[in-house]
Amino acid sequence: MDVELAEVRDFLAAHPPFDALPPEVLDALPARCTMRYARRGSSVMRAGMSSDRLYVVRSGAVDITDAGQLVDRVGEGGSFGMSAILERAPARYDVTAREDALLLTVPQAEVERLVAEHPVVAEHFGATHRDRIRRALGELQQSERGSAVFRTSVRDLLREPPVCAPPGTTIAEAARAMADGGTSSLLVMEGDRLVGILTDRDLRRRVLAVGVPSDRPVREVMTPDPVTVRSEALALEVMLEMTGRNIHHLPVLDPQGRVAGLVTITDLVRLERSSPVYLVTDLARQSDVPGVVRLASRIGRVVDQLVTEDATAVDIGRVVGALADAVTVRLLQLAEAELGPPPAPYVWVALGSAAREEQTLGGDQDNALVLADGADLEHPWWGELAERVVSGLQAVGWERCPGEVMATNPRWRLTVGRWRAHFRRWATEPEPDAVLNASIFYDMRAVHGDTALVDGLRAEAVALGSRSDLLLAYMAGHAARMRPPIGFFRSFVLEDAGEHHDTFDIKLGIAAVVQLARVHALRAGSLALGTTERLAAAQGPGQISEESARDLHDAFELMSYLRLRHQAEQVRRGLRPDNHIDPARLGSLDRRHLRDAFQIVRTAQHGLSTRLPPVP
Amino acid sequence: MALRDLLRRPPPGPLADLAAVPTWPVGTPLAEVELLAVDLETTGLDARRHEILSVGWAPVAGAEVRLDGAAHRRVRPHGDVGESAAVHGLTDDALAAAPPVEQVLPELLHTLTGPRRLVLLAHHAGLETAFLAAACRRVHGGTVKLQVIDTVELERRLLGSGEHVRDGALRLDACRARHRLPRYRAHSALTDALACAELFLAQCAALEARARRPLVLADVLRR
Repeated sequence: MDVELAEVRDFLAAHPPFDALPPEVLDALPARCTMRYARRGSSVMRAGMSSDRLYVVRSGAVDITDAGQLVDRVGEGGSFGMSAILERAPARYDVTAREDALLLTVPQAEVERLVAEHPVVAEHFGATHRDRIRRALGELQQSERGSAVFRTSVRDLLREPPVCAPPGTTIAEAARAMADGGTSSLLVMEGDRLVGILTDRDLRRRVLAVGVPSDRPVREVMTPDPVTVRSEALALEVMLEMTGRNIHHLPVLDPQGRVAGLVTITDLVRLERSSPVYLVTDLARQSDVPGVVRLASRIGRVVDQLVTEDATAVDIGRVVGALADAVTVRLLQLAEAELGPPPAPYVWVALGSAAREEQTLGGDQDNALVLADGADLEHPWWGELAERVVSGLQAVGWERCPGEVMATNPRWRLTVGRWRAHFRRWATEPEPDAVLNASIFYDMRAVHGDTALVDGLRAEAVALGSRSDLLLAYMAGHAARMRPPIGFFRSFVLEDAGEHHDTFDIKLGIAAVVQLARVHALRAGSLALGTTERLAAAQGPGQISEESARDLHDAFELMSYLRLRHQAEQVRRGLRPDNHIDPARLGSLDRRHLRDAFQIVRTAQHGLSTRLPPVP
Repeated sequence: MALRDLLRRPPPGPLADLAAVPTWPVGTPLAEVELLAVDLETTGLDARRHEILSVGWAPVAGAEVRLDGAAHRRVRPHGDVGESAAVHGLTDDALAAAPPVEQVLPELLHTLTGPRRLVLLAHHAGLETAFLAAACRRVHGGTVKLQVIDTVELERRLLGSGEHVRDGALRLDACRARHRLPRYRAHSALTDALACAELFLAQCAALEARARRPLVLADVLRR
C-alpha cells in the first residue's frame, strides 16, 4: 500500500467496525474505496433507488429521513447505506447532507467480502438491535465482577454501637452486659480511651478454665491494648488482619483515634453473603424513625454494590423493593404503636414503580390506603398514620409525589367500595386526562395490613379494564407519546424533531416500556405487576409476539441497568441520584446499545398504535 | 504547453501514445470527464534547474476520487536533494533506492492516457505543468498539450474578484478549511494530490450551486 493512504486507513481504523479488522485487511481497504463530496442540503441517496456502496462519513454530517421524518443523523466515522447493499434492495431512506460532507464509499463487493470473512463486520452491520442489546447485557453485567471485600471499607460494616464498660467492672457484670447486648465481646474503656477488650473466648480461657472468681474486675482478664483498625481500612485488609492474628473482634478507630465501633469476623462473613438480607432484618429491629432513616441511608450503597456485583436491574429493583417495603412496614408499625390500633381493617398499598418493584434511588413515592368497607374515612387516625409514613419515606430519600398520589391525600384513602367505583369509572367512561393519571393505580401492591382487601379489588379492576377498548386505547395512546430520543449525534442527544440536547431523561425510555407492558398486560387480563412479568404474561395470539416481548424486556433491562449504574455513581460522588444522563459520560458502546434500546421501544410503540382500536 | 509543442511530433513511446488520444471537448458534462489530480515534490521552484523527487496522483471521475488508482512514486534525482529536504523530508538516502525520472514519467504518461487524455488537476498547476513539460522534453524529446484545471484559480473565482485575498489564503490547507474539509496531518505528493482532488469536488459543488446547472468542462478549465 502507498503509505499516504495511511491517512484514510487511520481514519477507518478509528471507527467501528473497521477498528476491529486485522491490520493487513485494513491496509488494503483504502485503495478499494472512493471519495465523494456532498454539499450541505444536497441529496446523497434517495429512497427507492438502488445503491451499490457503503458510505462512511469522513467529515461533516448527513440526515437520514423516512418520508421527511428524521430517522438518524450520522457524523464523522458513522456509516450508512448498508441495508440497501446487504439486502440487495432499494434504499429505504433518503439521505441528505446536513453539513458539507466528505464521504468515503466502499463498493458492494468489498463490503460483502468483509462481511463474509470478518464476523465483527457482519455483526456490526447485520445484527439487529435485538442481537446487539442481548450481547451488551451479557457484557455489562460481568464487567465489574469482584468480591465485595475488595471494595467495602470497614466504616460501612459498623452496625450496633459496641458494648463498653470501665476497667473496674466485675467479670460477672461484664458477662451480663454482653449477654444483654447479644454480643460476644466488650470494650473496656477508661473514659474515651480504649484500654482493653474482653471476648467470649477470654471468659472461657482466662476465667472459667482457671477458676478466676467472677467478682474480680475485668481489668485482670481482659486483653490489654488490643489491636485496632482504622475506619478507612478495606474489609479485605481487616479480614487479613483477623485471620493472620487469629482474632475475631477488632475495635475500629476513627481518624481522631476515638472508638467508632467494632467489627467481627461475622460481619465479614455477612459481607460476603447478600448484605441486603441483613439490612432488612436490621430495619425491622429499629425502635424509632431516626433509626429507620439512618439504616435506610445504606440502600444507596447496597445498590452500588449490586451494580458492581453484576446483578440484573430486575434483581436490583426487587432488592430495593424489599428494602423499601421493610422501611415502610417498620414506619407503619412504629406509627401504629404510637397511634394505637387502627379504627378499621386497612392495607397500605404501594403504587407505580414501588408496586412493580422497579423502584430506584431518589424517585418519588406513590402510595395509598385501602380501607375495609364501612370504615370511617373521616377518622383522623388515617391521616396521622399516612403523614408519619410519608414523611419518613421522604426522610429516607423518596420525595413526595408532585401529583399528590399518596396516602396523605384524602382522595386516595378510600374504602374498597369506593376504589371499586373509581376503577369502574376509568373503565366505562374514561377521559384522556383521567386515564393518564389513573394508569398508576393499575400498579397496586399490598405492603402492610389486611392484604386480602386488595386482592379482590385488583382482580376486578383488571377484568373491567381488559374489556374496555376505550381505556386501552387511551393508555396505548399515552404509551405511544412517550418518545425516547432517536439516538446520539456527536456529544448530544438527538430528538425526533432533529434538535440536540445535552442530557436525556432515561426515565422517559423506561416509562415508555412500563406503559407498553401495562397496556399489554391489562389487555391480556393479567394480574402481573412487574414489567418483565407483564411482558411475559402478554405474549400470545393477538397479543405481543414472544420476540417483541423479549426485545422490550432487554431494552428495559438495559436502560434500567444504565440508570442504576448512573445513580449508584452519583451516590458514590455524594450527589442526589437523578435520571439525567450526559451522553458525553457514556462510552461509545453504551451509546450504541442505548440507541438500539430506543429503536426497539419506538418500533413497539408503532406496533401498538397500529394494533389497538383508534380513539374515536 | 503551447500548440507548437504538439506539432513537434514526439518519437514513438508513452508520450506519442498520449498525444494520439484526443482531448475532451470543452462542452463535455464535467461528470463524464476523467481527470488526474497530480502533485509533485521538487528540489526547488525552477523547472529548468530543479528536479522532481516524488509524484503523487489520484484519478477523479464521476465526481469521485478513485482511491484504487491512487499512486505515489519517489524519484531518484540526478543531483543532490540539497536544502529542499527540509521542505519535503525526502533525503538523498531515502531516494537512493527510488527509480529515476526516466522510469516514473512513462508510468504517469501512461496513466494520463485513457480513451481520451485525462485532464490534469493540480493546486498551483503552473508548477506541475512546468516540471512535467521539462521532464518530457528531457526524457522523450517533446511535450504534449494537456487540458489543465487549477484549484487555486477556482478558489480565487469562488472568493470573488472584489475581495482582497490574504497571503496564504489560497494555500491548499486554507482552501480546504474554507470548504470544511478535514485536515491532513502529513504532507506528501499523494496526500496533496488527494487533498487537491477533494478540494476540487467541494469547489465544483459550490460552483454548481452558484450556476444552478450541471457544470461542463469549460466551466472549470484553466483560462
